[in-house]
Amino acid sequence: MANQNGQGLELVGLRKILGGRVIIDDLNLVVNKGEMVSLLGPSGCGKTTTLRMIAGFLIPESGKVFLAGKDVTEIGPEKRPSAMVFQNYALWPHMTVFKNVAYPLKVRKMSKSEIEKRVHDVLELVNLMHHKDSRPAQISGGEQQRVALARALVQEPDILLLDEPLSNLDAKLRVKVREDIRELQRRLGITTVIVTHDQDEALSISDRIAVMNDGRIEQFSTPQELYDAPQTEYVANFIGSLNRVTGSYENGAISAGSDVIGIRPEDVFFSKNQVPGSVAATVTLVVPRGHFYEVYLKRNDAELRAFVSSEVPKAGDAGFANITKALIYRDGKLVRTA
Amino acid sequence: MALPPILVLGIFIGLPIGLAFFLSIGYTGGLNEVISIIGQDVRGRDGKLFTLQAYKDVIADPRFAGDLKTTLIVSFVATILVLIFSIGVGLLQRLRGGKLSSILTGLSLTPLFIPVVISSWALYTFYGSAGLYRTIFNSFGLDIPQITSTMLAVIIGSIWTSLPFAILMVTSGFQSVPNALIEAAQDAGASLITIIRTVMLPLALIPIIIVATFTSIGVLGSFTIPYFLGPNQPTMFGVEITNFFTAYNRPQQSVVMAFIVFAAASGIAISYIWANFRSAKESGRV
Repeated sequence: MANQNGQGLELVGLRKILGGRVIIDDLNLVVNKGEMVSLLGPSGCGKTTTLRMIAGFLIPESGKVFLAGKDVTEIGPEKRPSAMVFQNYALWPHMTVFKNVAYPLKVRKMSKSEIEKRVHDVLELVNLMHHKDSRPAQISGGEQQRVALARALVQEPDILLLDEPLSNLDAKLRVKVREDIRELQRRLGITTVIVTHDQDEALSISDRIAVMNDGRIEQFSTPQELYDAPQTEYVANFIGSLNRVTGSYENGAISAGSDVIGIRPEDVFFSKNQVPGSVAATVTLVVPRGHFYEVYLKRNDAELRAFVSSEVPKAGDAGFANITKALIYRDGKLVRTA
Repeated sequence: MALPPILVLGIFIGLPIGLAFFLSIGYTGGLNEVISIIGQDVRGRDGKLFTLQAYKDVIADPRFAGDLKTTLIVSFVATILVLIFSIGVGLLQRLRGGKLSSILTGLSLTPLFIPVVISSWALYTFYGSAGLYRTIFNSFGLDIPQITSTMLAVIIGSIWTSLPFAILMVTSGFQSVPNALIEAAQDAGASLITIIRTVMLPLALIPIIIVATFTSIGVLGSFTIPYFLGPNQPTMFGVEITNFFTAYNRPQQSVVMAFIVFAAASGIAISYIWANFRSAKESGRV
């Protein structure tokens, strides 16, 4: 498991107590060089605490942090080869965009010409040259976000840390900026850890996602694996939409039992005609969701939701519903998919 | 709505200032007539538009140069020391927190609740020729020079009275610097000293300038502290103006000094206005 010789990031057995409460307990994570990894979870699950331990703002009670093969556990943030983009961007209001971006190079006592060149390059990269003499208060939220990113990138860090970088942007801009970030990250091949509570964001830009719950990593996989085979009931619930039914599942039918059956709404199909494994069902409600409809179905054995994009039924229609895939959990753990 | 306060300001502040100004340039008639008759060495304009003879008198008086020097030195040194102490306590409170900074802040606020005249007497009896300070050194056989009746005593007293407001202002200025801005500098590789110099001081600059202006103007025009603790001659303008007005019965010259002090204070006030302008510019309002 050790990648102390590699160039990415490795967290080994991290434990952090804050205010007498264990926030992070025995956390292990390996991020390969050039990979983009999301720490995904609800508020208070410890994702920001983990990021702050990687950045050096918090020292773990026990465990080790390796960055680019070096043990940096006891090293302060100013000496770590990492750069962070803060949630509210943390741009210094008394400095221009140029000075904000030049700051990390200035404290490293680089020559004036070298600073000028590198700041210009990175401002070109994030397309902000025209704002180099503006103050942060004079530019938009999306532009501020790009300045913060430029300030991190100009340091040419071994690892880029992003703390909920898109949470202050409106929905449309968020999609655009996250694509920009992903594109930049790929182009520069920079190892990146991004903290987010937005599963959409995590699923769309990450190579791998670590879903966190209560200070632990529940599952660390690619977005597809995470969606298709969530290893715990928590992950299944957290990622995507889920019909959750208690019972026993056999050949598309649900009977009495104690397992938790998770069924994605897109794996539930409604039709007027009976197919093998389908069960009689009535449509109780149809909710438009933009490019698809959410159809509430009442079967004899369970109530289920289905996502339908064509041939949308009406409330009161009778027909048949079949399930093409179900995830079966016992004690919160995935035991089989059917 | 605004008329009553404007009237009050006009009658009780504007009118006396106007009268004093006209007296200083030789208008000895009208409402200034009584004071001009009672006062000594009152210079009239003798039919001219105005006269600066009273200003010339004051500037030619050797006491004036001494007073000016004393006042400026005391104001400057006291302001610098108040800034150093308040910035020190403010930084300690912001960056370290803990008991020591709380105790220091609490202690520094004490003078706020003690009237200046009482604290002046307390300082006088403490630092006086037979005060506790000299007595303690004396008991070890050390003869320490007395501090009262020197500029040093005025500086100590001025710090005592100015520090509470300064610490409140500067501490709140540093407290309002968001953590993320400090952490971003740390993340960029800056040392503590660099962070203080490049992030914390510039972001708390406006409260610091306010403290500097208010402290220096306050010390410049102080009376009680230099009256109790200061030297007889040369002394601070606050005391000298009173001396000229009452003891020497030279009201016109005392008014002239007041205008000179006012001019100096105006210079300081400009820096205050500039600070406000800068803050408006930073937040994109200008």
